[in-house]
Parts: sequence; C-alpha cells; structure tokens
Amino acid sequence: TSKMAAPARKTVEFFYDVLSPYTWLGFEIMCRYQQKWNIDLKLRPFYLAGVFKSSDNRPPAMVPAKSQYMGRDLWRLADMYKVPFKLPSNVIEVLFIKGSLNAGRFLTAVDMNCDQYLEELTRQLFLRIFYRDEDITEPASLLSAAMKAGIPEDLAKQLLSTIKDQTVKDRFQQTTQAALDYGAFGAPTIVAHVDGKPKMFFGSDRFELMAHMLGEKWHGPLPELAKAKI
Amino acid sequence: MADADKKVIELFYDTISPYSWIAFEVLCRYRSRWNIDLRLRPFSLAAVVTETGNSPPGRVPAKLKWMGKDLMRQAYFYKIPFRGRKDPNNDMANKHNINVMLLLTAVTMDCPQHLESLTRELWLRFWSREEDITQPASLEAAATAAGIPADQTAALLAKLQDETVKARLTETTQEALRHGAFGAPTIVAHVGGKPHMYWGSDRFLLIADVLGEEWQGPLTELAHL
Repeated sequence: TSKMAAPARKTVEFFYDVLSPYTWLGFEIMCRYQQKWNIDLKLRPFYLAGVFKSSDNRPPAMVPAKSQYMGRDLWRLADMYKVPFKLPSNVIEVLFIKGSLNAGRFLTAVDMNCDQYLEELTRQLFLRIFYRDEDITEPASLLSAAMKAGIPEDLAKQLLSTIKDQTVKDRFQQTTQAALDYGAFGAPTIVAHVDGKPKMFFGSDRFELMAHMLGEKWHGPLPELAKAKI
Repeated sequence: MADADKKVIELFYDTISPYSWIAFEVLCRYRSRWNIDLRLRPFSLAAVVTETGNSPPGRVPAKLKWMGKDLMRQAYFYKIPFRGRKDPNNDMANKHNINVMLLLTAVTMDCPQHLESLTRELWLRFWSREEDITQPASLEAAATAAGIPADQTAALLAKLQDETVKARLTETTQEALRHGAFGAPTIVAHVGGKPHMYWGSDRFLLIADVLGEEWQGPLTELAHL
C-alpha cells in the first residue's frame, strides 16, 4: 500500500492589536481552531493606530447608535463564545488615548525571541484590558502579564528592556506594513494562504467562509475549548 | 405548529445594500427550517445614515476594495448571483433612488404577496445584471418580471409620490431607528416579548441562538436563484 504524505498545513496569519475588542473574540476562536484545522497559525502583533492612519480609516464607534450596538454585540458574542469580555470603565481613555504602542512592541520582542509564549502573553494582555480593566501601557503591567504567561522573570525583564531598540521597532513596523500590503484597514486582519495565494479577511465574523475556502469544516465557536481562564 | 408559536423576525432592508441581499436570501431559506414568521420591511438606508450621523462604508479605499472581494466570496458561498458594479460608489449615489423603496412600500401596502419576488428582482437588476432601476420603464419591467399583473403595476407606479406611501416608508424607517438601527440590513428577532436587534448579514449564529434554533449553513439547496 502506498503511504500518502499528510497534506501540508496551510499558513494563516493573524494580524492583531490587543486594543481591539472584536480581535480578542477572533483570537480565541483562531486558537481553538489550531487543533481542529490543518493550519499553521502565525500570530502577528501589529499597530492598529498605524493601520488606521495609513488607510485613512477611523475607529468604528464614532457613531453613537453604532457604538451602543457594538457594546451589546460584543457582550452577546462573548457570552456565546465563552470569552470573559468586559468593556473597560473608561473606554475613550483606554482605547483612544493610552494606546498600545508599548504592548505591541513587547509582543514583537517576544515574537522575535521566544514565540512559544506569544499566544499566552497575548491572552494575558487581553485579559488585563478587557476583563480586569487594568493598564497595558506601563512596564510593570507588561511584566505582570509576561509572568502570568509563564515567561521567566529575568527573560521578561530583559525583553522589556529592548522594546525601544531599533530592531524591535523595525520589526513591529514591518509587521504592520505587511498587513497594509495585504489590504488591511482594521483589526483583526486574517490572511489565509490557499494554493499559494493570500486570502485576506477582516473581522472576527468570517470564520465559516474562511473554513469553506480552506477546505475545512466550521463547527461554530467551540466554547468547550475555551482557554481564557479567569 | 401553530402560527402563534412562530417567532417574528423583521428584516429592514434597502435594495441599495448588497449585504442586505445576503440576509434576505438566507432568511427566506430559513423560513422552511426555523419556526419563524419573516416580515420584510423595506426602509430608507439613506435616511438612517443621515439621522444617525453615519457614513457609507465605501469611504475608505482599502475597505471598499475588500468589501468587493468579500461580497463575491459570500455570493459564491451562499449561491447568490451578486456580480457587483464597475463603479459601486458612483452608482449607489446616482443610479439608485428613493422611488425603488417607495415602490416596495406601495407593494407592502397593496399587494404584499408580491413583495418577496419584486425585492429579489430589484436586487437582480441592480446588483446582478447592472441594469437601471431609476426609470419608470425599469420599475415596470421589474414588477412584470416579479409576476405583478399589468394593471396592478400601473396602479403602483402611479402612487409612488402619494403622501400615504411616503408616510409609510418614513414610519418603517423610524421604527428601525427606534430599534437602534444605523445601517442595513437591520434584523429584529422578537423573542419572549423582547426585540433583539442585529446589524449585518453575519450574525446568524447569534440569531439562531436567541431563537433556540440551529444554524444549518448557507442552505444553497434552497436557493431561489
């Protein structure tokens, strides 16, 4: 009998910024589907503020009726997906003023040096901002998230000290540019590579379509595989 | 099953909106799978956008480009013959107008049994065959293709500017706004005496959940097209 080689895993790039609430939902679903689909998930921390600027876009909740809807929509989706999402008490300050530059660079440094921790560090940052209403801009905040992610303390401190290095800044900027080159204008931006071609998806609500294009099956949000522990 | 058990789902839509076509076809198919009473509510997206201070989604070039691809993929997935238009922004501004929604409103008032087929025909004209839908002759052709008898069609076209029809379109639009609408499609599922509003054609998992039903995918075998 002939042995068939296992079909090659399809690369799926997940471009994200921990400031974006819908992105957390998409992130958790993608992580669950790593086990179900024949994919090689590549987490790509990028700078959403930079994407908005380059694509001449704006954050979505500038329209009052839309903003109200999004609050309910996020709650309903999070409830169904079993992600412990809560909007921060001061949304404007957290999402539009304090920003995510340091967090994004720290995620980049981890990606460059010890990417086995990238998924859990990402999750811990999402939990800080969108479950515990905690800061993600100060070094102490980033260190706390890193340690909760299992990164040894001395390694975490060393990586934290590099976030203003040119190599880290450049890599962060390159990742953001890669997303823009795929046509990104928001977050999450998901790029599934199918038959040598990149297929870009925007948002956390295209998984059924993505499954179809990957030749995989969509089983819904798989809440039983929830990893975000509180 | 008794009709009283059926849960009412209202679809507020405007034929200028391609994503509304997806929601329309999906909900029409799910009438035979879910215990629902689907109510088609043609409204004015332009009025909703103005009232809420929203802006059309095609303002951002990269987003417009992506939406074109997204719609073609969804059209293939749902088996809906959406083919786009060469200049969608220009055409939505200049080649679609309120008379289309007034016609659908008049049909709702006078012969609602034709609402579904005329709605579909108008989408086919505008978003599948890139045909005109502004001229009276175009609206007449659409009504005829939808199976509306000639005398009824003439009567409908004659009353488009009547105050009663305009008032009804305004009322429907205001109702959507009271549910919190800011765009199209706006879907309102009435469950346990409460309205649950959803925007877009990508929340069917949530809608299934609130209805206590199961999402069964695109149901392309039930495609009307």
